[in-house]
Amino acid sequence: MSIIQQHSNATLGDAWRTINIDALTEDSSVNFDTSTLHPPQPEISEADARQINTQVRQLLRGGDAEGALRGCLDTPVYNGSEAAKDAHLQTITEVLQSIKASEMSPLLKSIYSSEGGNEALDVLMKYIYKGMGAGAPKVSRTPSGVTPQSTGGFSQVGGRPGSNEPTGAAMSVLLSWHEKVVDVAGLGCIGRTMTDWRRV
Amino acid sequence: MANPEVHHLFHNPIADHSFSADQQTLVVARDTSVELYGRSGSSFKLQDELKGHDKTVTSVDIAPSTGRIVTCSQDRNALVWEPSPTGYKPTLVLLRISRAATFVRWSPNESKFAVGSGDRLIAVCYFEEENDWWVSKHLKKPIRSTITSVDWHPNSVLLAAGSTDAHARVFSSYIKGVDQRPEPTVWGDRLPFNTVCGEFLNNSAGWVHSVAFSPSGDSLAFAAHDSSITVVYPSAPEQPPKAVVSISTQLLPFKSLIWRSEDEIVAAGYDCEAFRFQGGEGGWQLAGAVDTRGPSAAGGEQREESALKMFKQMDLKGKGKDDTQLKTVHQNTITMIRPYQSSGSGVAKFSSSGVDGRVVVWTI
Repeated sequence: MSIIQQHSNATLGDAWRTINIDALTEDSSVNFDTSTLHPPQPEISEADARQINTQVRQLLRGGDAEGALRGCLDTPVYNGSEAAKDAHLQTITEVLQSIKASEMSPLLKSIYSSEGGNEALDVLMKYIYKGMGAGAPKVSRTPSGVTPQSTGGFSQVGGRPGSNEPTGAAMSVLLSWHEKVVDVAGLGCIGRTMTDWRRV
Repeated sequence: MANPEVHHLFHNPIADHSFSADQQTLVVARDTSVELYGRSGSSFKLQDELKGHDKTVTSVDIAPSTGRIVTCSQDRNALVWEPSPTGYKPTLVLLRISRAATFVRWSPNESKFAVGSGDRLIAVCYFEEENDWWVSKHLKKPIRSTITSVDWHPNSVLLAAGSTDAHARVFSSYIKGVDQRPEPTVWGDRLPFNTVCGEFLNNSAGWVHSVAFSPSGDSLAFAAHDSSITVVYPSAPEQPPKAVVSISTQLLPFKSLIWRSEDEIVAAGYDCEAFRFQGGEGGWQLAGAVDTRGPSAAGGEQREESALKMFKQMDLKGKGKDDTQLKTVHQNTITMIRPYQSSGSGVAKFSSSGVDGRVVVWTI
């Protein structure tokens, strides 16, 4: 093998393309904790989330749906354990399910026009998306006894999210809320859900 | 309102556009070249093509009084095009950046320009007489991500920059020997190079698309990807600002914004049309679209059609009305708006360019 060929084989390989050059730069964003760029959020524990749940339930029992929804939207769990976040999602889903379809739009409009209502509907949209994502992974798990078959493509065997009764009902509630929120708060609301670094 | 002046130049995206001071010349960044259009009658004709970049040109700016054009590109270079009797002559600028250059603007006194880049820095460039070339100094700290836009304060020393790390910042770009000592402003009185005079973000912290100083330079507005605009009123150097007003809208995000006057902002972006915001320190609100002629007038080609034509259309396309056009003048995202003409009360006309290859001049 000639020396030229050896040389070109070494340089023409494309291994260098897979080098993550950002990792080699000292002050690049991958070597930097980006959370320090934002102001910290107050931490909410699971106990707090449960307490909000009981308060909201009381309001619901008293027939104050708007107060109940507003109550849980004003205290989103941005900084807290997974359990606290799930508990709060549970609270909001309960409230959403207990409100009748005909009451959705007037209720959202009244929240939107109130002080800080814009922010509240952004929070609601975040929880709607979280709620939609929550049901999916549990149903699509394959049983461990079966030989793994990697089809690579879309498989209907695992069951679509929402194919079983309770999740399906919850999903349709969330979908109709999603539609109503977009009617009131516009597409900007979806954009903010995606860009916001404060995750629920 | 008067009908907007629409120039459909080509079917490529326009990254940036700039008019000369006499409005007879229009420069647009098209793909890897920069095209120079001259006014002939009511339209613009292609006059010259400035070729020098070998990657997408991201930004272009004409200095109003010297007529110099500065362009920057993803090939990590900036070029200054000097007008001469035989055409424009390019001069390479030593930017010393290792990522794409994203945005360039001349300072109001035209002795410097600032180049934003993906290298987490802003190169402030000035001409060095003894070596006869353009050199740069880097504004680095505390930028954590790509610079998306910059805007100069009227005093040519302060520079605002928006970044994808969700912050809008105000820097001092004071260069000894080039700049006069600036008058003290609300942003600061002692301003050595790379002084950070302000650092702002809004609650949801979307990345910042556009920043702009108000005409007086005493307040700053920025548009972020969370469909909001935020206006900052600083109080005094080293003090927290007097007021930070943030308006989240129901619309899609804005890509570009300008101040019309101290109490009015125009912003445009993914909704393909421009919107006005009005207010002051106490609060701002969305005052509606700039194009108030209604959807049918803006669509333009919606005429009363004969029954025969309607049935023909239904036969050919399966529908009676041709609904392939947006109801706005721009048929795609507006990426840049700039002041075009000013009157006593502020900007009277502004120009917009977008992904649809149109440059439109609007009367407010």
